[in-house]
Amino acid sequence: MADYEVPKLNGEGYIQIPKIKPGAMAGKGPFIAKPDFQKALNFPADFQADGAGKFELVPDWKDRALNKLDDLRHRYRSLQLYLDICVKCGACTDKCHYYVGTHDPKNMPVARQDLLRKVYRRYFTFAGKHFPKLVGAVDLTEEVVDDWYNYYHQCSQCRRCSVYCPYGIDTAEVSMAAREILDHIGRGSKYNNEIISKVFKVGNNLGLPQPALADTLEGLEEDVEADTGIKVRFPLDEEGAEVLLVTPSADFFAEPHVDGLMGYAKVFHEAGISWTLSSYASEGANFGMFIGSYENMRRIALRIREAAIKLKVKRIVFGECGHAWRVAYSFLNTLAGPFDFLDPKYPVPQHILEVTWGLIQNGKLVIDKTQNDDKVLTFHDSCNVARGSRMGDKPGGQFEYPRNVIKAVCNHFVDMPADTIHDATYCCGGGGGLLTDDLMELRIKGAQPRMEALKYVTEQQGVTHMAAICAICKSQFTKVIPYYGFKMDQIVSVHQLVSKALVLQRPVSVQARPDDDDEDDENDDA
Amino acid sequence: MALDIGGKTIATDEEGYLENLNDWTPEVATAMALAEETPVALNDEHWEIINFLREYYEEYQIAPAVRVLTKAVGKRLGADKGNSKYLYSLFPYGPGKQACKYAGLPKPTGCV
Amino acid sequence: MTFVSIFYGLLFWAATLVLVVGVGRKIYLYATIPAPLKIPTTPAPVTQVGVVGRMFREVVLFESLFRANKYTWLFAFMFHMALWLVLLRHTRYFMDMNSLLSFIQPFGKYASFAMVFGLAGLWARRLLVDRVRYISAPSDHLMLALLIGIGLSGMMMTFVSPTDITMVKGFFRGLMTFDFHPLPASPILLVHLFLVALLMLIFPISKLLHAPGVFFSPTRNQVDNPREKRHIAAWALALEKNKQSDRNEVKHG
Repeated sequence: MADYEVPKLNGEGYIQIPKIKPGAMAGKGPFIAKPDFQKALNFPADFQADGAGKFELVPDWKDRALNKLDDLRHRYRSLQLYLDICVKCGACTDKCHYYVGTHDPKNMPVARQDLLRKVYRRYFTFAGKHFPKLVGAVDLTEEVVDDWYNYYHQCSQCRRCSVYCPYGIDTAEVSMAAREILDHIGRGSKYNNEIISKVFKVGNNLGLPQPALADTLEGLEEDVEADTGIKVRFPLDEEGAEVLLVTPSADFFAEPHVDGLMGYAKVFHEAGISWTLSSYASEGANFGMFIGSYENMRRIALRIREAAIKLKVKRIVFGECGHAWRVAYSFLNTLAGPFDFLDPKYPVPQHILEVTWGLIQNGKLVIDKTQNDDKVLTFHDSCNVARGSRMGDKPGGQFEYPRNVIKAVCNHFVDMPADTIHDATYCCGGGGGLLTDDLMELRIKGAQPRMEALKYVTEQQGVTHMAAICAICKSQFTKVIPYYGFKMDQIVSVHQLVSKALVLQRPVSVQARPDDDDEDDENDDA
Repeated sequence: MALDIGGKTIATDEEGYLENLNDWTPEVATAMALAEETPVALNDEHWEIINFLREYYEEYQIAPAVRVLTKAVGKRLGADKGNSKYLYSLFPYGPGKQACKYAGLPKPTGCV
Repeated sequence: MTFVSIFYGLLFWAATLVLVVGVGRKIYLYATIPAPLKIPTTPAPVTQVGVVGRMFREVVLFESLFRANKYTWLFAFMFHMALWLVLLRHTRYFMDMNSLLSFIQPFGKYASFAMVFGLAGLWARRLLVDRVRYISAPSDHLMLALLIGIGLSGMMMTFVSPTDITMVKGFFRGLMTFDFHPLPASPILLVHLFLVALLMLIFPISKLLHAPGVFFSPTRNQVDNPREKRHIAAWALALEKNKQSDRNEVKHG
């Protein structure tokens, strides 16, 4: 069925850098968004499909592309600077998981940047205007646009390349800019733009309406009670709660995400913290970042602010998601701040792990680590968390907190090789808005370095499960790791582990409903 | 692309989901399953899942989460089938995606 | 007052002007374009002092490059340190000797070997590694050739056929006061100086802009304090004001 090969793993814990295989991933971009989805995001929609079903570019696409590029380079220092100062040292060339997995040289970060840089040079630099061949400048043609669409949707914007560039050149920034340009000439990604329009319509990526959300949460309450005998609340749209939990919609829908959601609830329950979800802002994810659209990213972020105001919460806590946390930590204050109406004692926003670890450190949670003795765990540092955010008040907290929590609830923890974790972590292969079936080959190949590291610790140290704190990572891994010989259920949420080990002491939730109490009384009488 | 069922052309997107959800009929579901690269012949067990999905969608306008689905299947078909392995055995590409396609529901989006 | 002297005098005036103005404009550009979002590669320093330290390690020790590729780091570090030593030694043509300048003279003299060796290593990598070869443009190779040419011609003057360096010093001291003094007609010197002028001319339109540019890289020079302090660009602020109505629409939508 598949006309491609799953990359082989060497199992020795190191990433083998391949020889280049030009064109290996040419023409393997995602499905293109229809004009309707473009319109919802305020992108130009004056294009249609040709006879063969392929979408044309907008009229005057070349001028509009160049104008957009000029606009962006004057609004984002990162773009202008990074297009100028790359010395082509090649330090980044072997750092991208998509290059490692696909061998396509255009998936090398600098080559990916060059797709845009060559056009920038041709039209915006002296050398490019007068000596194009000398500096490798090229005209903007439809083939170039196709390459842009193809390869800028083969970048998960994981920023690993930026860690190793001597000047910090961030291909993700270039990739976001390129996608923004493409969105303006009729080449939006169907997956991303459809998701964003659903957020605008319903409030979350999945398009879960409030009734479905309520039903799901009700079911989860039943499950937890059946499992523990204690009514743990999953409140929705409850005003006056202390905490607004913003979590990716996958936490309501997919596994192992939903087990993490149960972990959040148990932690809040046990700590006696009143919390609520919001059906209006029922999505922690912000795909606006993936398409490089400040405006759309801001629109999504503002929903959270408005929900917080409406529900009169005191703090905002984010669930386990990589890019959601990056947007929340790094951008929420910029996009939707200031948050002077929230409790100043807590940072805005907070990560659920910051909450959990704080409670564990203060002895507020009763943990039975033996509950997870059937697992030997390792932890996957999600790119957006590792390289784009922080937890706690010290640099590197985003690495310590998840591991601290895991070690607090599990007896067996093993780290993957040092050059594959922390800020050197490898992308799961599904980030940056690439978690779509039409990019399955890319996702499988992109996961190769991470799978290499996982295989190493599995074979060498008996690791049985990999914990993650990113919704995309969890979904991507459950789909992809079977291709590498692992099992779907080897991916767990960190709060899934917390949920398993947490021994609930509090018999009644601080948010217990009155009728629940009555029922308890009746049971007691009987 | 398109499916030709009983002389009628049914439009689907690149991934095989119905362009127009109202085009769904059981015959359409059968045809979609057979039109796959690896054809799936829908049997009673498939149909139970598909029917449940359609009912849930009718009520909530969204496909049920895997957990909801497994719980419901467990209640209806027995605890031994109320697990994701059983669902994956019926729908190898995932009940959330493959079954939704045959049930004529929109493709789940997001981080799944 | 020969033609050569005048020509080279004008050439270096022009090259200096182009270098200074060109680089200045770029620096102004980098300084004034906003970085609308906080995008430091974490873990990042949470204080400004920490950022200074990070930048120091990046600019002086090439920390990220060291993490990325030890071979490239070795050759790049060798080349850059040697380049700086050579340039410091060259200041003897523009200023009076002092004890420090005297002290570094032998180091700068032999640094020429390290400089050319580093460049050769960088060039070898650019030719031999398929990935680097793929990404290299002709200009990348020419830049290395230019620098090696400068280094080799300079070494030729130091170690093979010496030139009248007192006269060279006189020529350049004169240039600083807009005087034209005679320049030795040594062909190697003229080659050396011409290549240097060429380097100065293309500096502002080439990748050598990485020298000033590195200081403006948001991924490296931003403080990691977005929760504590709101970071926003002017155009984004304007967006807020203009889109106040948008926000209300979204709220009710």
